Amino acid sequence: MSLKPELLEILVCPKCKQEIQANEDASLLSCEQCRLRFPVRDGIPVLLSDEAESY
Amino acid sequence: MDSKFKNRVREQFSRTATAYVEAKHFSGGEDLEEAARLLQPTQDDNMLDVACGGGHMALFFAPMVRQVVASDLTMQMLKKAQEHIAEEGLIDNVIFREADAEDLPFPAGSFTLLTCRIAPHHFPDVPRALKEFHRVLRRGGRMVIIDTLLPSDPEIAEFFQTMETMRNPTHVRAYNEDEWQEMIQDAELILQEMLIIPKVHEFQDWVKTAGLNRTQIQNLNKFFMDAPAAVHDYFKIESFAGEVETFTDQKLIIYATRKEKEKK
Repeated sequence: MSLKPELLEILVCPKCKQEIQANEDASLLSCEQCRLRFPVRDGIPVLLSDEAESY
Repeated sequence: MDSKFKNRVREQFSRTATAYVEAKHFSGGEDLEEAARLLQPTQDDNMLDVACGGGHMALFFAPMVRQVVASDLTMQMLKKAQEHIAEEGLIDNVIFREADAEDLPFPAGSFTLLTCRIAPHHFPDVPRALKEFHRVLRRGGRMVIIDTLLPSDPEIAEFFQTMETMRNPTHVRAYNEDEWQEMIQDAELILQEMLIIPKVHEFQDWVKTAGLNRTQIQNLNKFFMDAPAAVHDYFKIESFAGEVETFTDQKLIIYATRKEKEKK
């Protein structure tokens, strides 16, 4: 299950509060500033800094 | 939030997610009605329900507002809440986000309504969460926080703190009216109204929601039964043959708003 694109407008990085970008199938959300990737599990974005993956 | 504590909270609520979704003492109640009366939701409102638990607040408000974003620290709780709301049918305007109340992943001014029900006593840093609530509320936005009131008598307060921690080790602490008033003001929110309503708990339901085993339930029962008379009076503890049947605590409902225009 992926995210509806219109819902992404109301998400920011929990750490720096800057906009986050979804990948093509909205299975991952990335903060370019913090270089963090947030997973999306069963259509629910996990917006926790310590669950995010550095890249 | 300290990540070890956060993991304990998630472990606790993952284990008990189904019980929370199904809990009768959460699904209805006077506090929800009061929250709606205070907030006066409209179809233009974009609402955030922080620490949504079983999703009862979100489900109750969804038909009255444009959209509800329900956030919680525990994925398992969100999944159960999502399933529960899907089973209800008709409701298609609730979306879920796994988020920390103290580090919300929403832009400033995203919401016109914010609710947080029976949850702040699990937050290690309530002032920080309140600053986040202020940030994500639009100017003029309305907020209702509901939580158990800390009794003003120190002896009763100590009993309360101990029994809550025996039931759920992730209980941090509750606050009294003066403390809430100060925290609300420090977060630059405007306190509009505070009211207190009693809540009767069926002891067995209450312990089972927290996932206690038989020994833990017996210990908690004994702790209640052995408590001084002042505690029995305050909590209106009703028992039969040495078993606690019901008790009553006080829920504080706080209605506050964000200023229309910010002072610079």
